[in-house]
Amino acid sequence: MSRRPKTLVLVFQYAFLVVMTLFSLYPIWFVILASGRVGQRLYTLNLLGMFIPTSFTFDNFQIMLAGEPHPFLSWMRNSAVVAGLTTISCLLVATSAAFAFSRFRFYGRSAGLILLLAIQAFPGVLSLVPVAQLLTAFGLYANLWGLVLAYVVGNLVFTTWLLKGYFDTIPIEIEEAAMIDGCGPIQSFLLIGIPMAKPALAVTALLAFMGGWGEFVFASVLIPAPNIKRTLMVGMYSIANNQSVPWGLFAAGAVMTIIPVMIVYLYFQRYLIGGLTLGGVKG
Amino acid sequence: MIAWSGRKKALMILAFIGPTLLGILLFNIYPITYNIFISFTNRNQYHPNPDCSDSLTSIIEPTCWPMFKESSGISTPYSYQVPTYKNYSDLLGKLLSSTGLLALVQVVICFIPLIVIAQVNKYYDRQLTRPVSGVVVWILGLLVTAIVFWLIGRPAMNTLQADSDFFIVVFRTILFVIITTPINYIFGLALALVLNTEYIKGRTFFRTVMIIPWAASTMFIIMSLVWQFFFRDVGVINQLLNIIGITGPAWLLDPTIAFGVVILVNLWFSFPFCFNIILGALQSIPADQYEAADMDGATYWQQLMNITLPLIRPAVVPAIVLSAIGAGGFQMFGTVWAITAGGPSRGAGVPGSTELVMIYAYKQVFQNNAYALAGAFAVIIFIFLFIMTLYSLRITRMTKGAYE
Repeated sequence: MSRRPKTLVLVFQYAFLVVMTLFSLYPIWFVILASGRVGQRLYTLNLLGMFIPTSFTFDNFQIMLAGEPHPFLSWMRNSAVVAGLTTISCLLVATSAAFAFSRFRFYGRSAGLILLLAIQAFPGVLSLVPVAQLLTAFGLYANLWGLVLAYVVGNLVFTTWLLKGYFDTIPIEIEEAAMIDGCGPIQSFLLIGIPMAKPALAVTALLAFMGGWGEFVFASVLIPAPNIKRTLMVGMYSIANNQSVPWGLFAAGAVMTIIPVMIVYLYFQRYLIGGLTLGGVKG
Repeated sequence: MIAWSGRKKALMILAFIGPTLLGILLFNIYPITYNIFISFTNRNQYHPNPDCSDSLTSIIEPTCWPMFKESSGISTPYSYQVPTYKNYSDLLGKLLSSTGLLALVQVVICFIPLIVIAQVNKYYDRQLTRPVSGVVVWILGLLVTAIVFWLIGRPAMNTLQADSDFFIVVFRTILFVIITTPINYIFGLALALVLNTEYIKGRTFFRTVMIIPWAASTMFIIMSLVWQFFFRDVGVINQLLNIIGITGPAWLLDPTIAFGVVILVNLWFSFPFCFNIILGALQSIPADQYEAADMDGATYWQQLMNITLPLIRPAVVPAIVLSAIGAGGFQMFGTVWAITAGGPSRGAGVPGSTELVMIYAYKQVFQNNAYALAGAFAVIIFIFLFIMTLYSLRITRMTKGAYE
């Protein structure tokens, strides 16, 4: 495979790469271009304006940040709060469960693991009505905390499996040595398990945060109103789901939502790819 | 681990997994139970409220619980269906009759050629020589499958779809999965193969670029709306076509094209993941395998078929199965919802042409308020996904702990 191929093959390969690069980048580039134009002017674009910034203003960003007519910063804060609380609670709950499933041997352990996964097969959209009723009963409907609760449980199975997979790869000899020195299960979890699993915890945290940040269906149903309590995705959807869409504003909001995430992803690239394979996706 | 046992051990384990179990119980087990219960009632927009005098209802409905009782309405309560399984028979239509069962058997028959091919290939793999190559067998087999499908499967499917939305929606979803999954992985594989060769310049750059749609896929709603703008009547693509003098079609109003657009956008979201999984697997293949093959004079194609693909299989197949039954395949919702919302419509009361399983369910619950029917739908889909998940577990063998 290391032989140098024919020129024709090489040309095809580069052409394929260039096409895929354009395919990957253009939608993002288009949003950046659109965010620099005012109002409805997307509909009267010239050819050049679709590929390079012929004119660029920061008006749209200013309007979005000013909070009128769309409380963008409130949406962003709601999303950040929900995603942050989801991440922390999810890690707190799932890490100990994952450790128990990896280290302890108890009746119903492997059946429990399979059950966890199989139950997850129930489509989330269809559990929305009972979940909403349950939250109403608890007084958490139309409340960020209710959303956090739903997200935490939604992430739980995936997180538990990912972390359990990682705990399985940590040699048990260290803990056995500690046990001989008188270390109980709680100490071995807190002092050995958690510090050793830091890389997996980081990946899990990132995935849980992104899950909460980008989730749409639960957020749209569980927090129907008022506008200021919505999360970012629901808010952005409400901007774009009209007959006359203020595309410039939408694009500015999209840029402010997506670019930070992209930077985080690019920064954590290799951990993410590693994290996906360590969680047992690998056969 | 160390021998501690009895009550202390039980308490310890409960402390570790208790919160998880509680969460699962409340937000996973309870909704499933509730859906099973509600699927045997006639709860819909005309009978929205629970009848708290019924003992089972008063247990399962939160609004009937003593502490929340004052908030429950008692007007127009729902009751049990007569016969009990009416929602299921409404959904499945003719399936519960003899013609429906016959049609189902006919559809199943269409898959027999595929099983035969797999067996033939397995048989040849065990022999020392191969009279015909695996690819030829597959092409022949697929051809036979297509002919059998055209003769037997198609009329049978028409029978099944005749008076039931359920089969239209399920068949369409399966079609969606069957089309998107190979496309996503073929693009991922091609990219990974190209970027895994040393003579390509700028590999790091291309790899980084391919992360970007992946990052965007966490906020699929926003990017799907952008894609929707590309394909609008006066969207980017039609404006470009206008400039070179072509009047573009109304992309999202044509049933077939809209389906294609959804597949294209799904490709944009999914191929980076496939690419990264495959690239990781490719990099773990030792180079001496290829050196040995070179010595024996194997062509690139032979190396791909006999070394590369078999060796990346263990890493890729579980990922394919998981994404096919997960949110990127069978349970696809967000992307399609943002682009077409299930449309274009094909008439009132008929599922639109991109109305996949989850979108159909969402519409039944939140637009038609047909809770009971959607509950029955959920139960059927759940049984299907449950079996698929157990099957995928068998493939991935993920339940194996490290020390078993």
